[in-house]
Amino acid sequence: MTDINPPAGASEGLRLSQRARLRDYLGLSLKVGILNLLTLTLYRFWGRTEVRRRIWASTYLNDEALEYTGRGMELFVGFLIATALTVVFLLVVLGVQLLGPLGLILLAPLYIGLIAVVGFAFFAATRYQASRTAWRGVRFQLSGSGVKYGLGYLGRVFLTVITLGWYWPAAELRNAAPLWSGLRFGDQSFAFNLEAAKKENLYGPFALAWLGGLLAYGLIAGVAMMFMGAETSDESSVPEGVRFGAVYLAAMLGVLVMVLASASYRAAVLRAVVRGIRFGGVRARLNLTAFAVLGLILGNALLAILSLGLLLPMIQARTARFIINRLELEGQADLAAVRQTTDRGPRQGEGLADAFDISLV
Amino acid sequence: MRARLYDGQTTAAQACDLEVAGGVLRFEMAGEPRLWPVSEIEVEALGPDVRLTRRGAPERLIVQAAAWRMSSGRTRAADRWRAFRLLAVLAAGGMGILLSVFVGLPLAAGPLARATPPDLEHRMGQSLEAQMTLAFPPCRGEPGQMALQALGTQLGEVSDSPFPIRVRAVEAEMVNAFALPGGTILVTGGLIDAAEPDELAAVIAHEVAHVEQRHAMEALWRSVGLGLVLDAVVGGGTGVTQQTVLLAGAATDMRHSRQSEGQADARGQALLHALGLSSTGMATFFDQLAQEETAGEDEAAGTIWAVFESHPASRARAEASQARARAGRPGFTSEAWAAIGAACDRESERPGRGP
Repeated sequence: MTDINPPAGASEGLRLSQRARLRDYLGLSLKVGILNLLTLTLYRFWGRTEVRRRIWASTYLNDEALEYTGRGMELFVGFLIATALTVVFLLVVLGVQLLGPLGLILLAPLYIGLIAVVGFAFFAATRYQASRTAWRGVRFQLSGSGVKYGLGYLGRVFLTVITLGWYWPAAELRNAAPLWSGLRFGDQSFAFNLEAAKKENLYGPFALAWLGGLLAYGLIAGVAMMFMGAETSDESSVPEGVRFGAVYLAAMLGVLVMVLASASYRAAVLRAVVRGIRFGGVRARLNLTAFAVLGLILGNALLAILSLGLLLPMIQARTARFIINRLELEGQADLAAVRQTTDRGPRQGEGLADAFDISLV
Repeated sequence: MRARLYDGQTTAAQACDLEVAGGVLRFEMAGEPRLWPVSEIEVEALGPDVRLTRRGAPERLIVQAAAWRMSSGRTRAADRWRAFRLLAVLAAGGMGILLSVFVGLPLAAGPLARATPPDLEHRMGQSLEAQMTLAFPPCRGEPGQMALQALGTQLGEVSDSPFPIRVRAVEAEMVNAFALPGGTILVTGGLIDAAEPDELAAVIAHEVAHVEQRHAMEALWRSVGLGLVLDAVVGGGTGVTQQTVLLAGAATDMRHSRQSEGQADARGQALLHALGLSSTGMATFFDQLAQEETAGEDEAAGTIWAVFESHPASRARAEASQARARAGRPGFTSEAWAAIGAACDRESERPGRGP
């Protein structure tokens, strides 16, 4: 619709809607799948870019679609850089092993350092995607230091480990905070209100998820020990096929228990993060229940399994539509005051995040 | 053609008139004319509208899709030649990686292994042995260890091994032997219990052949290529394409491992012959293994999975070894064999424990 309604100046309210039609993603999924096959998966960077363009272009803010301006080549160059870094890391690990027993002690900090790299990579991927997102021709940006984020991430993982996981809900909010408070639309800053986010009850759902995780782990480990331990002691009693079948079944059950037990926590964390987001006078709310999350996860899993992973683009579109259409924005923002900045963001894409398999879309 | 124009500086929408003439899109922004060659315009479908952009230009134009189609004659960023060229380059790149990883790297693994400085391989072996010692502690019966070592030393001398051979018995119930990089051979207590003297001698000769031909190093180079390179190229990945490529890598690795095993059987027997020792144990050992394999599992599964196992089917190896076998002196004297049999015997070597 090309009616021209120039905003009246002053503040505007904001409405988000995701209008992806899932059947449009069938053809795209097929195309990306075939081209991946033909190019030994090298096409995946361009394929991912095209999927993002589609999803962004069907996401509307006040009836104007978002725009994804990233390029496949940028992701490819990022991938090459990450690969080079990985080779350097592996050479260092190899070299350290040749130093003898002392070297093995040096390996520990190297692997711990990897956790900080994961945090850095996640920040860098978010920065790249923000800088390649525009609305009404104005770019988003993520400001802040990736190194600082990586170190903070490492610290929060450390606290989570020594508290047997119980710090994780607090850690997740603190992981989200710099990503939202550092986000800019043009020259206007987003903010993250940690106190508002904390008002969401996270620890009740987390306790459920924690116990479910313990149960699932116990189930898998118990069955595995029962049947795999039999291998050395008494070979003939249980046929090998039955043993593997039992362990496989236990693993499936364990995953299902984990998904069921953590659904309400996943929903709560998403609600909490959204509750903390501020842009001008705009606040956000996410209407998301545990059942809805469960439906999303199980539906996605079914699509992925039945299509052998081919329908990943459709799953990504479905997920985006699912979350965005449950977002409610209240309050007004002075969009007329927003000005484009000269910062164009990083030159290449989220290679490291890709290497760690942590990019979301 | 009416359009909504964003100037790339603010979020305000402006009304704007577009004109296409002679393959050029013309519009005005703040009184300044803008001329965009239609061939350089990227078009993105937005429901009933399209968004027009030009690389490097900050402006965004939103027009009705039908109107744009009418006046420009096209709806897509029709740089099809560019897209095709990209695909051709990527497909060629994929093919090149495929060839170099599946064909080139396995071929290069042997020369690479032989070009690896022996000192480096020796150190890697030491590091690996230190890690394996945690799972499989050495057996304590020193006379038995010395008897094993004596045979290893002899075999090493007639071979072209770049490393001195070191043979150690380790505590483990499974029936197995390993040639680590750098010349160390580990023999399990389970193997000592299960094997006849000539069979154990044949297994050690087989492992010495692995050391001589630097198969451990070759396997390392190969798996670095097939595992790490492929994994890096396809990005780990959970999709069916990624898994297919990784599986093909694993199968290639297995195929080459099987070749190495066959080579080591033949070379191991030749080393025994060079010392005037009997090499009949190789065949009887595989014969025994083959019988146990068929006794435990149904045969159909045995033949199907033989393709994926690193050792060629024991039956085939038994037959090949039988054809090469020659009689000769026993590999171990009866005193040596008695000492070896007691090497991993826990009661005998720990005085003060047990009755």
